[in-house]
Amino acid sequence: MPSALASAPAASIDRRFINRGASRSTLARFSLWLLPWFGLLALGAYAMYLCLSQGLFHTNMDNRYAFGLWIFLDLTIIALGAGAFFTGFLLYVLRNKELKAVINSAVVIGLTCYSGAMVVLAVDVGQPLRAWFTYYHPNVHSMLTEVTFCITCYLAVLAIEYVPLVLKNRQLKLRPSFLVFEWELHKLMVVFALVGTLLSFFHQGSLGGLFGVLRGRPFVFREGFAIWPSTFFLFILSAMAAGPSFVALTTWLVEKLARRRLIQAAVYDTLGRISGKLLLAYVFLKTIDTLLWINQTAPGRGFPAHRFYLESAFGTWMLFAEIVLFGLLPAAILIRPSWRARRGALITGAILACLGVTLNRFVLTIQTMALPTLPFDRFLYYSPSWQEYAAFGAIIAYAVLVYSFSYRYLTLFPQERELALSSKRS
Amino acid sequence: MFPWVYGFQWSFGYVLFLGIFFAVAAVVVSTLILAAWRSFSAFRRGRVPLIQWDSAFHDLPPQERACRHDFTGELSGRVCERGFDCRECATHAKLLQVHPPEPAPDLIEVSGLAIPTDRLYHRGHTWAQLQPDGSYLIGLDLIGRRLAGANPTFTLPTPGTPIIANSPALSLHRPGAEARILAPIDGIVLETAPPNSNWLLRLKPSPFLSTRHLLSGSELRAWFARELDRLQLALSAGEGAPSLADGGVLVDDLAAGCTPAQLDTLCGAIFLDE
Repeated sequence: MPSALASAPAASIDRRFINRGASRSTLARFSLWLLPWFGLLALGAYAMYLCLSQGLFHTNMDNRYAFGLWIFLDLTIIALGAGAFFTGFLLYVLRNKELKAVINSAVVIGLTCYSGAMVVLAVDVGQPLRAWFTYYHPNVHSMLTEVTFCITCYLAVLAIEYVPLVLKNRQLKLRPSFLVFEWELHKLMVVFALVGTLLSFFHQGSLGGLFGVLRGRPFVFREGFAIWPSTFFLFILSAMAAGPSFVALTTWLVEKLARRRLIQAAVYDTLGRISGKLLLAYVFLKTIDTLLWINQTAPGRGFPAHRFYLESAFGTWMLFAEIVLFGLLPAAILIRPSWRARRGALITGAILACLGVTLNRFVLTIQTMALPTLPFDRFLYYSPSWQEYAAFGAIIAYAVLVYSFSYRYLTLFPQERELALSSKRS
Repeated sequence: MFPWVYGFQWSFGYVLFLGIFFAVAAVVVSTLILAAWRSFSAFRRGRVPLIQWDSAFHDLPPQERACRHDFTGELSGRVCERGFDCRECATHAKLLQVHPPEPAPDLIEVSGLAIPTDRLYHRGHTWAQLQPDGSYLIGLDLIGRRLAGANPTFTLPTPGTPIIANSPALSLHRPGAEARILAPIDGIVLETAPPNSNWLLRLKPSPFLSTRHLLSGSELRAWFARELDRLQLALSAGEGAPSLADGGVLVDDLAAGCTPAQLDTLCGAIFLDE
């Protein structure tokens, strides 16, 4: 690093790394914003250290309640991170060029979601030094093996997709080797988009499938097509529906925090339209799946479906909320052009869609574990320990930190400068 | 994972699962290797300067990539997709046949700037002027010079260095701002300018020189007017920045009135150095 750069004050160095024409907060304000997130990250790191060094007794999970807050977090952020693969597929494969405005942001969201999920999974499974066993001695009949392989490969793909963004940093691109490699890598991005789509398709599906094949848990067991239960397809569809909504929601949040426009209204409209259509398809199929389960699958396993909703904590309102409140309602909002055109309505729809997929993953993990599996079983209660909450918080903090640094120093929204100029022009 | 590893079975499930996994891994790795090989090849063939410009052009917002026939009104709203390189543009060639460039007076005035028309202008605010000995002088145009300010420092290529049109040929240094400046034509540097000259480089042009991508004659008025508008917008983009009033005249040392951050933004916008 040139000596002039090393001797310059921190603020001056900071400014040199910020892209031309991008207006960012002062270094002091940015540091203040980072501080609580770093605090949360540190607390979570300590909790993870306790679990890894001393064992999972620090959590409130046990042999009966083996899937807790962390698995719920994993499933949710992997579903919300689906915006990365789906936006990439729409942009690079289906050539929807409008989505170029959000692809960089979607990649960062995907990368933080997947890497966060991997970290928390490593703590949850434990013995990270033996993690290579699952690759070296795979049980190919397990859906979890497929999930492990696909998520690992997809995380590598996301990291590769993130490399061009980093190399495009104002200082890094001054090095011709970085700039040329970024340029050549960018030209081949369609390959990574296709590979990412293939991997995401299978691991999103298998994450759902692994619940659907649980014959011993009639609440989630489903019939399906060939070796795949219906949850395999519903997970893929729900992740594809929620992904664009989450990208829209994140962009809107950043716009509010940064107090500037980042993408054109047409891009919001496209994201909302795609999300709405897929959500409607998902709600339709989910409804059919639920009706089949109520009338055939659950009674066939010896449990009338209504028995699963006798406990007031998880009553039928959960089913209503999942399908109607967080499914049909956001689909109706997002699919109607006149409602979608109003930013408040579109964001409400996006929030509801994201809550819908979150609730779905909650039902499949927390609710499934709590419900009895045998006629004489009792309802189980589980409340996460502080270590579980802290690790959960650390993943959120990590995602916010990576996104914050990326937004400050990289080009996440290529339309930002153009919109700043056009607002001056108008 | 491999046939010699404990637990491996030659069953359909194993072969299919691991086959797909290894195929995906092979595609990812070979794509990375291909990107690295292409990069190496670009260095070996000397394509780096062109890639630098292609990359910068790719990042320009659409309104800054307007076609030269857009601001003359011939093709309204047309956005250039060729890196401002009209030499190979079929549309430009057709339009030149229909509307050959009209001669312009020796000097045209745009918002108080007297623009000499005896030279060819590049979209990155450099000009190239043919000399009687067949060489070309390269310099900054009036907007570029005023942005560079009173005492600019340039890093110039040494004599003998080949430079390529549209690629970064020299750089401007001001306190708080640096900008790479694009070469208007292909050629080899013959000499660099002595102090206080109004030019920067003298070039021996390439034997296959084409200047069709450079602006001249009657289109200069529309282009300079548009560039002044763009400059004003870039100036006002910063918070509380001094902006030109309509009908105002560009000051001689624009850089002196700007903060380093504003100057940096202006340099990027005007010299097309994103």
